[in-house]
Amino acid sequence: MTIRALYPGSERDDRHGAAEICLKCGVCCNVANSCHVMYDRKFNPRYTFVYDCLASEKGASNQNIWLCVSCHKCEETCPYEVSPVHFIEALKGEALDCGSIHPMIRSEVSQIVSTGFAFPITGATERQRQSLKLKPLSGQAAADLSRITDKTGLASRLKEEQK
Amino acid sequence: MRHALFLGCFIPVRLPHLEAVARGVLPELGVELADIDGFSCCPESVGFATDRTTGLAIAARNISLAEEAGLDIITLCNGCTYTLKQANQILKRDAALREKINEIIAETGHSFKGTVEVRHFAQVLSQLIGLDKIRSVVKKPLTNLKVACHTGCHILSPPEAMGFDDPFDPVVLDGMVSALGATSLDWDRKTSCCGWTLTNYGEKESANRLLGAKLEAMRQAGADCSAVICPQCFYQFDTGQMLAVRELKMEYKIPTLYYLQLLALAMGRSLDEIGVRQHRVKDSALEEKLGRLIS
Repeated sequence: MTIRALYPGSERDDRHGAAEICLKCGVCCNVANSCHVMYDRKFNPRYTFVYDCLASEKGASNQNIWLCVSCHKCEETCPYEVSPVHFIEALKGEALDCGSIHPMIRSEVSQIVSTGFAFPITGATERQRQSLKLKPLSGQAAADLSRITDKTGLASRLKEEQK
Repeated sequence: MRHALFLGCFIPVRLPHLEAVARGVLPELGVELADIDGFSCCPESVGFATDRTTGLAIAARNISLAEEAGLDIITLCNGCTYTLKQANQILKRDAALREKINEIIAETGHSFKGTVEVRHFAQVLSQLIGLDKIRSVVKKPLTNLKVACHTGCHILSPPEAMGFDDPFDPVVLDGMVSALGATSLDWDRKTSCCGWTLTNYGEKESANRLLGAKLEAMRQAGADCSAVICPQCFYQFDTGQMLAVRELKMEYKIPTLYYLQLLALAMGRSLDEIGVRQHRVKDSALEEKLGRLIS
């Protein structure tokens, strides 16, 4: 039998169905060595990080969703197979469209799309590589990534989000 | 055993001394490394959770480059492994999604076929090469070196996709460290996250508390150093520790070493050759101990 426990005032579409079978037992965040975000003092054994993400009225604009690293430990410990990680990842997708993406994430995604690398390649990087007899880094993937993001619409979503 | 070397971003840009070590030692264990032109970021999973379709397409393009060379992929990073392994598994199983993704990457001239495997170097060493082979290349056993192994998160879960170790009781890295003659410690908080994401997208104070708790657990277990297999974990335990100890007023430091650095030392490389001068957290007692072991 599936026990369904809707959060009060929370209307979720199918992508968030998992949230609606969560019993708020807190196991996902309170098993030893499980959710690292519980080191943030905003959360506690009664108001866990996962509950914060699942219960938020405007989930996609809840900046706490960016604390999740998709380590899947909540998924491994959840006795009801709620899989909060997929729910939180869906909220991250919505955040890009509603303009509440974390600025560092926007910057990182834009950096990858425009250069092929998650970090800027500086002169210092290349000098260090040269001193270690390593080849210079190539940005030849950038053109392909531009084609891909044009096709998926990510390029225009990023431009729209920055306006 | 020839593999396409997938460097990712973190190691070649920020920690190139680890790339140099990998290129030096892996071929001596029979892992021939091929450079493939055109690899991009895997892409990074937290950022591309915002657009899974684009993330899958970029990963599919990367995998297709290795397919065109007829080579399995070897990675040096837990994050790259997480992204590429999951994409490889999903696209191999789901024909409709594969077709959709191939339509997206068609303009790049590539196509995902599902003909290769993706493995972290720790998987290649533990599953394909074997601990006996590792033992056979050890010239300077790291006897009495007490190591706190931190496997990291993304190579462990989801376990059915990653196929490496138990997420809540990982032992493979411990076995690899023991094969070098070192002592792998049983320590508290072994499986908690390094805190890299908290540092970057959350409150640094929280990340420092997490890191401080892990370091204290290592100290209580008597660790000389920690061992990692992920560049983000390495960075957190090295540069992150340097920053955290100031705030936490910690009176001790526990250096970290990437597993391939420990392997290189056991194979007879010097401390300079493995790049410890590039590390932020240095400990003269550890360097003296290692110096005696490899002299």
